[in-house]
Amino acid sequence: MPKVLVVDDAAFMRLALKTILERNGFQIVGEAENGAVALKMYQEYKPDLVTMDITMPVLDGIQSLKAIRQYDPKAKVIIVSAMGQEGMIKEAIASGAKSFIIKPFKEGHVIETLTKIATA
Amino acid sequence: MSELYANEPMMDMYIFETTQNIEQLETCILDTEKAGYYSQNVVNEIFRIMHTIKGSSAMMLFNNISMLAHTVEDLFYFLREHKPEQIDYSTLSDLVLEVVDFIKGELDKITQGDKVNRDSTILSSKIKDYLEELKQQNAITELIEKPVIEKQSHYYIAQDKTENKINLHMYKAIIFFDDGCEMENIRAYTITHHLRDMADEIYYLPQDIIENDESIHLIREEGFQLYVKINKTYNEMFEFLKQTIFLKDLELIELDNDEEFKQFYKPIKKIILDTPPVMIPKINNQNYQEGKEQTITSSNQSIISVNVAKLDKLMDLVGEMVIAEAMVTQNPDLKGLTIVNFHKAARQLHKITTELQDMVMAIRMVPLSTTFHKMHRIVRDMSKKLGKEVKLELIGEETEVDKNIIEHISDPLMHLVRNAIDHGLEATKDRVTLEKPKIGKVTLEARNAGSDVLILVKDDGKGLNKQKILDRARENDLLIKTENEMTDKEIYNLILLPGFSTKEAVSEYSGRGVGMDVVTNNIEAVGGSVSIDSEEGIGTTITLKIPLTLAIIDGMNISVGKSRYTIPTTTIKESFRPKENDLIKDPDGNEMIMVRGQCFPILRLHELYKVKTEVTDFTQGILIMVEQDEKTLCIFADMLLGQQQVVVKTLPSYIKSTRKIQGLAGCTLLGDGNISLILDIGGLVNLNG
Repeated sequence: MPKVLVVDDAAFMRLALKTILERNGFQIVGEAENGAVALKMYQEYKPDLVTMDITMPVLDGIQSLKAIRQYDPKAKVIIVSAMGQEGMIKEAIASGAKSFIIKPFKEGHVIETLTKIATA
Repeated sequence: MSELYANEPMMDMYIFETTQNIEQLETCILDTEKAGYYSQNVVNEIFRIMHTIKGSSAMMLFNNISMLAHTVEDLFYFLREHKPEQIDYSTLSDLVLEVVDFIKGELDKITQGDKVNRDSTILSSKIKDYLEELKQQNAITELIEKPVIEKQSHYYIAQDKTENKINLHMYKAIIFFDDGCEMENIRAYTITHHLRDMADEIYYLPQDIIENDESIHLIREEGFQLYVKINKTYNEMFEFLKQTIFLKDLELIELDNDEEFKQFYKPIKKIILDTPPVMIPKINNQNYQEGKEQTITSSNQSIISVNVAKLDKLMDLVGEMVIAEAMVTQNPDLKGLTIVNFHKAARQLHKITTELQDMVMAIRMVPLSTTFHKMHRIVRDMSKKLGKEVKLELIGEETEVDKNIIEHISDPLMHLVRNAIDHGLEATKDRVTLEKPKIGKVTLEARNAGSDVLILVKDDGKGLNKQKILDRARENDLLIKTENEMTDKEIYNLILLPGFSTKEAVSEYSGRGVGMDVVTNNIEAVGGSVSIDSEEGIGTTITLKIPLTLAIIDGMNISVGKSRYTIPTTTIKESFRPKENDLIKDPDGNEMIMVRGQCFPILRLHELYKVKTEVTDFTQGILIMVEQDEKTLCIFADMLLGQQQVVVKTLPSYIKSTRKIQGLAGCTLLGDGNISLILDIGGLVNLNG
């Protein structure tokens, strides 16, 4: 069961991802509301996958992604972002994000993305 | 998303979080408006909030909200990126507050299960116009932001691998993505980015996937064409590309020569692209701490949110349990039995039910701060429209009252604050001539007083004009007493009567035909009372007295004939059996009793409610002296039955609809199974004049 860390400042989005992932056989090991907490949780829980929102307070998704990748170059981070943030997503991919999910997301898309990244 | 959509916890979370975000946004705006400009932090914060609302609303398919939030997000993106200097902050605040109101309105509809369909396009285009204006004023032509990656990155030749060409295979791949997966260009970019570590040379078509989002259409129609020189077998390469997410179709051809590569060779320059240096942000501890405080949304694991309906149910159950407990411990079958152990156990049970009850009450208690802070907005809007400078002071906002009560007092408070600003405070220039402080002050104060909470709405305005009140009351036929017999307080209380507020007083904010009587009704509905103090030229204070909780009260049970009544113990001053010679009758036949030199009216309950009883002589029954609103009354009953906690139930509607019975606050079930009527002391003392 792949272990997932969900990072998003919106509790609603965390719940949405958690609901989708848990009923598809993923285990949520942690939920972080900003990038700084995410880094701490990553070090603590060693998740297989991280879903990472971009727009967050304290430490945004890109900075947090970089920090996590520096701590663990093999970290599998999937960016969760909205239409209109193409530039940010490109930057995230260039910084080592494995893939991305577009909000509003569909259950099938989320699962396909995470499953492929988990097994890759 | 339909399966998520129907999910109730998701909906609850959406409403909860969006409401919280909107309130945070409103506070944010009101605070910054005082400062006169939007700091970078505030701009970031608003951008973030709008981004979150946009995302959540889109997930829940509330497209009108999502679209509106998107427009505001764009506006604040512009503010954040370009930091324009000329900003009309006042209009900006108005716009954002309008958005706040729109979303609040839609959230209310969602909460009530109504359809969310209000058109947000007009408001959206207003915001877009504002943004356009802003751009023109600040002479910023929209620059398309260049991505960090250089334009030439559409091909890539690894430096250290070029010598090792012996094992190189050449491939051409055509990749189609699933329909509806969106952002195909970035997906294509992801493939090339991941290939970089392995391949020697990468070329692709369309070439402008990074900088041109229009390339999406080409990828959709013709597929993404990839040319790679790599040290991998056909199978390895195929497996690698197979991993592509949302891969619909993959065609992989091994090329014998590099003919097809030549089309890319025009600039025979080797471009070495290192991944841009990765900047690792230092996590500033101080920053982090600050962030913690700022975000209310941070998920504190030790707090959970509970549906109010569940709490109501819990409260009901505890109420039933209190009744059931009384039914057991005061069971008539136990009479005359010596049962020491039973009483011990019963006391233990009583202790626990009392604690449980206190705890349930405590859970339902909510601080008044949210309600109080809503007033900032009203003060802001009104002071802007009326051109009066007003300062709002909040005292004791941490005072807690029952959740249900809060809902009942929110509207009355709003009305009172509006009244205070509109009618209470003088115009700014008048205040200057009167040598009063230029800025008017409205104070909202809450404090505990026994089992009640007092909420005071104070203003330092002109105060009430007694003569005008009397004139108005006379016109509307509201005077019961002769004018010179009335105390100041009685005169002020006239404005609380229905029919006092006339349409002459209509302004945009207060007196929309809705008078102070609505305030009184709302407050009385939760068992509270309203009183007014005023001093001409100094100001007016309106005091709302509200019970801490509605559900369970301490009561004294009394009997009249076969009927049972309950008097809230907080109102009882004493009870006694009168002596014959203390009784007085005035010429109109009203009965009074002299206690320690003072006269008090007597109310015979059996007469008021037409109950048959054998006890009609005062010396055989008992008098209970009660006091409310500084008025005292002696109630005559047959006997006291004992003190008990009673659960207040409203009178059934079939009783209320047949006849309005005065002086009843509700009913309750006693331990012996009898129904007891709870007396509304406030109603009774006023009934008596």
